[in-house]
Amino acid sequence: MSFLEVFQYSRIDSPLHRLDPRSKLVMVIVCSAASLLFLNIVPLLIVLSCLVPLIALSHSLGRWFKSMRGLIFLVAFIVIFNTLLSSVQYPFSYSIALALRLIALMTSFSLFFLTVQPDHLSQALIQMRVKFEFAFAMSMAMRYVPTLGQEAYAIMDAQKARGVELDKGNALKRIRNTVPIIVPLIIVSIRRALLIAESMESRGFGSTHKRTYMDRLYFRRSDWLVVAVSLVVLVFLVYVRFILGLPEWMLWQLPF
Amino acid sequence: MALIEFSDFSFRYLGSESLALRRVNLKVEEGEYLVVTGPSGCGKTTLCRAINGLVPHFHHGYVAGSVIVNGLDTREHTVAEMSSIAGLVFQNPANQLVTLNVEKEIAFGPENLGIEPSEIRRRVNDLVGLLDLGSLRDKHPHEMSGGEQQRVAIAAVLALKPKILIADEPTSNLDPASSEMILTLIAKLNREGMTVVLIEHRLDIVSKQASRLVLMNDGEIVMDGPPRIVLTDARCEELGIGVPKATQIYQRLKKRNIELPRVPLSGEELALLVQEASHR
Amino acid sequence: MIQLEDVSFSYDGVYSALVGVSLQIDDGESVAIMGNNGAGKTTLVKHFNGLLRPDHGRVIVNGVDARRRSVAELSKEIGLVWQNPDHQLFLDTVRKEIVFGLRNLGYSAEEADARCDMVLKDLHLEELAERSPFALSGGERKRVCLASVLATEPKVLALDEPTIGQDAGQKLRLARLLQDMNRKGCTVVVVTHDIEFVIENFPRTVAMSRGRIVADGKTSSVLSDSNAIALCSLSPPQMTVAAQSMNRLFPEVSPRMTALSEVEEAIVRILGGR
Repeated sequence: MSFLEVFQYSRIDSPLHRLDPRSKLVMVIVCSAASLLFLNIVPLLIVLSCLVPLIALSHSLGRWFKSMRGLIFLVAFIVIFNTLLSSVQYPFSYSIALALRLIALMTSFSLFFLTVQPDHLSQALIQMRVKFEFAFAMSMAMRYVPTLGQEAYAIMDAQKARGVELDKGNALKRIRNTVPIIVPLIIVSIRRALLIAESMESRGFGSTHKRTYMDRLYFRRSDWLVVAVSLVVLVFLVYVRFILGLPEWMLWQLPF
Repeated sequence: MALIEFSDFSFRYLGSESLALRRVNLKVEEGEYLVVTGPSGCGKTTLCRAINGLVPHFHHGYVAGSVIVNGLDTREHTVAEMSSIAGLVFQNPANQLVTLNVEKEIAFGPENLGIEPSEIRRRVNDLVGLLDLGSLRDKHPHEMSGGEQQRVAIAAVLALKPKILIADEPTSNLDPASSEMILTLIAKLNREGMTVVLIEHRLDIVSKQASRLVLMNDGEIVMDGPPRIVLTDARCEELGIGVPKATQIYQRLKKRNIELPRVPLSGEELALLVQEASHR
Repeated sequence: MIQLEDVSFSYDGVYSALVGVSLQIDDGESVAIMGNNGAGKTTLVKHFNGLLRPDHGRVIVNGVDARRRSVAELSKEIGLVWQNPDHQLFLDTVRKEIVFGLRNLGYSAEEADARCDMVLKDLHLEELAERSPFALSGGERKRVCLASVLATEPKVLALDEPTIGQDAGQKLRLARLLQDMNRKGCTVVVVTHDIEFVIENFPRTVAMSRGRIVADGKTSSVLSDSNAIALCSLSPPQMTVAAQSMNRLFPEVSPRMTALSEVEEAIVRILGGR
């Protein structure tokens, strides 16, 4: 699961961390588009070589590297399967390109999740006119994930202590054994939800449509710059890919 | 007029067959510190929720009589309207922290009521200072101890500047050190003018701080008066109330014809009273 | 009998939850384990039935190294009652809940039913037998969980924070039940921070702080020891506070009393009377 590390926000200060989530969203969309527009080794390597400095700018190279290491099995799987099964002229080359694309996409998304604080994300959504209740539901979900995780472990302990054996038996038995875990988890979550609702209601939740926000997000010059550059890059890439066409050397493939 | 006034108030939860509260009459003046106690199921939780309107607006059911808080009839005003008059702190701290950081949590209530952002910022800064929450700023609620979480929950409730602080067994899930800290905080708020209604089983800790002890059983108020009088009544033992041991000693000594000058509520008081008595 | 020999354990490899813990609980004992949050009390108890295995040291249950037995096996002898009953309730009637645990541990359907009937009677749950546990009150759900553990007739009954949120009457009933179990030969272990409950009901107390045992012995000695109390972030018992205050004014009075009757007698001696 270590490949998930690159999707976790960490509270550091970096040029990328200081940007508004909305400008980062635009940047990441463009990076993802760049990863998806090309399916050849050389262009993808160029895209990656632009992404990695961005990761460095967010002071998260170590984390990125660890995640990429965690991806090795998946990458090997993709390469092997596609080499054996695809009907393209040079299957190995194609599968390397696919693997590179996966890495580039993951790196693009990680740029967002590494540097956007969950509350800022929900504030960004609210300022982008998403209804408060939805944005808040999302941030509450993030708030309660660790709590729910701990609850699940406690439930597993309680059931193991009654003789429920979670790691034995055939596939069918194992699935049946998840019932004593899932049912209490759902019930406990519902009970908890009612208590949370009482606390929220007691503090006026949902009482007015004119809800105010203590901290608002404001675009700065750096944000406008990031958005402008991203859009220009996007237009350029689309132009190169569809209209201009890629030069010969970029279409180079491994001969197998 | 009293700050909180229950007049012949009865309530039955929807789907329940019995009354949770039966013709309750209670008056609370501003600045009082009330401790409400009684066996499980006596109606103290329902009583608390009737003050800020959760009963009957959130917990639906059948109502008779009225509850008037700061001049407002709870049947005719929403919970949101009551929230800036009576704040409610609950038993489980984790279920009261719904955001990812302390400042947002404190701001949550005022934001919900549409209060002006700079005023919210001011309240947040004041409360972080008042309740010493500065060191918790960067922690996720899950990373805080029970006592820290409960302190944040209290700050979040105080952000709405209520006149009344209602606390429903706020220390049940906390260890002894955190419990004392929270109860000391509540006593301090009371000294500064907050009207407090506290549900608590551990009378040995709170009865010294309270101005009034209300005993409930089966939906009714059975006794209501100063702690020293209520705790020496025989009904306490019948109802299974946890009378402080020092007070129990006072009664046992009385049966042995030894009369201490006053009713003690704590071990320290007991020692002083024994000294007084020994000089007579 | 449960023996822990120099047990150390860490959840994440960084922070040690238990450090060099050695403990012996003989059959028929009644022990309280106290300490502040994070002291390792619950971690300790989870080693009894194999939910956790030590990183170093050994856990020996009834003469056999626990490592050689699975959690399910150990659960036949060690019954753990959790703080939150909702962590285990998932079936549609109280009877099914109680029978579930019994069937898992290998009892036949008839045996399971018989034991279920007995425990329903003992805990006054007969009218609730066919009701859904989810519809019961908090206190009733706790009793159902207790019943499901008692039905397995464990040799060791361990309870994690059983007094939280309970009123004085409920605590008294619980204390009586535990005394009954102990009289029948069951070893009782309770993890709690309710110091008054411990003073009144448990002859032996193990005090823990930061993963270590800081005191282990007679309850009245351990809990009147100000150092142990301070290390474990506990509040001294009401009567010890009284004793200490009295001792300051009347030096002949012992500052280490814990029982109500002791303090009462001391006062009677000072003031005269019957």
